[in-house]
Amino acid sequence: MIWGTGILNGFRISIRNWMRGPITVQYPEQRIELPERARWTVTHKLNPDGTPLCNACLVCERECPDHVIRIEMSKNEDGSKTMHKYIYEVGACMMCGLCVAACPQSGIYMSHEYELATADPADLTRVLLSDIRVPGKNSNKEETDA
Amino acid sequence: MNDAVRIAIRIGAMLALLLANGVVLIYMLRKVLGRLHIRIGPNRVGPFGMFQTVADVVKLLAKEDLMPDSADKALFWIAPFVVFVPSFMAYIPLAFGPNLAITRLDTGVLLLLSVISLIPLGIAMAAWASNSKWSLVGGMRAIGQQISYEVPLMLSVLGPVMMAGSMDISEIVEAQRDVWFVLPQFVAFVVYIIAAQADTQQTPFDMSEAESELITGFVNEYGGMRFGFMFLAEFSNMFIVSALGVALFFGGWYLPFLAENPTALALGPVIFLVKTYLGIFVMMWARGSQPRIRVDQLLAFSWKALIPISLTWVVVWACIQRLVIG
Repeated sequence: MIWGTGILNGFRISIRNWMRGPITVQYPEQRIELPERARWTVTHKLNPDGTPLCNACLVCERECPDHVIRIEMSKNEDGSKTMHKYIYEVGACMMCGLCVAACPQSGIYMSHEYELATADPADLTRVLLSDIRVPGKNSNKEETDA
Repeated sequence: MNDAVRIAIRIGAMLALLLANGVVLIYMLRKVLGRLHIRIGPNRVGPFGMFQTVADVVKLLAKEDLMPDSADKALFWIAPFVVFVPSFMAYIPLAFGPNLAITRLDTGVLLLLSVISLIPLGIAMAAWASNSKWSLVGGMRAIGQQISYEVPLMLSVLGPVMMAGSMDISEIVEAQRDVWFVLPQFVAFVVYIIAAQADTQQTPFDMSEAESELITGFVNEYGGMRFGFMFLAEFSNMFIVSALGVALFFGGWYLPFLAENPTALALGPVIFLVKTYLGIFVMMWARGSQPRIRVDQLLAFSWKALIPISLTWVVVWACIQRLVIG
């Protein structure tokens, strides 16, 4: 029944809210810390010398349910690979993290970059890596042997 | 100073009070509702968003004055004033301090309540003239509600009037020098606060506006300052019922135990306004806490609960006053 204690309870709850004070976060002046496991854009991990861990194995490209990752690469005669472009369609990415889970090199991770709006739709297609030479298995072996 | 100038000054003061009040109350409503909903409220225009209402008024003034093609032109044009003028007139008998009133009237309470009861006429005109179903439904609800709740409002006022033996608001306040009428007249006070909330169409009882169903009801077709007048009248009514409640039940400009203190007497108008704004805060608190009820529940509550209670209280208090007090 509406005329019962519910009315008083309503008053109590709203004045308790008054005492709590606003919980509004005034973005962009105020920002909250993202939780550690927040998943935003796919980003490459780098070796200490600045080269990417990625070896162009194409697993992430195959794994991606939305086909937002596209790798353009070619194989060289000596068994090494040249990755021309690592293309990432951030506008279509749903941040599921399957590519990160699938990566055998653990070469990519989901970053905390969440302000993804752009003025130009073309900016939503990002080239994350370009013109990277990846040593092949044989050349790797030669190096370690030497 | 001749009479014409004096009257002009008084009318100007009333108008200034009404307009300033409207601006302050709209800002206060937004801030209070914001805090009650754990939000901040307006905070962009000026310090603490204080000029938000000013910006809104400028916007309303600058807007095009639209009139629907199929509206009843004359009625549509005149209706906002018929809503606004009674609300304006209701300031006449209000007493803000000892010797500070627009006019002292022997029948102040009666005048106030009777001009307030003219507002449904303006609402009916607006609702009908708009020639829109939303407006008409909202208007019918508003009229039914206001007429239903005026009866308990007037009956609840009778208790303090009987105790003071006068309908002059200043005399009623004077009679509360020692004891505020809210203590002996608690039943009447409860009826008054509910009926006042319903009569001014504040949220638990705002079926006439019902943003989610009727898209603001009878003001639906109004825009610009014509809408502004309706809106202003609504906030001014809030102030009026709160001020009347303070005068009738909470001792007007008197503080408890300090009735003879000269400083407290000098600060009378300030005390009166603070009490009035506290009353308005309670109305806004109810607005931020309670869900809207159904229109048939609302009318049933008035006719089946509030009116019998207030009638019984009038009879009981009349007997007490006659037999016990003497």
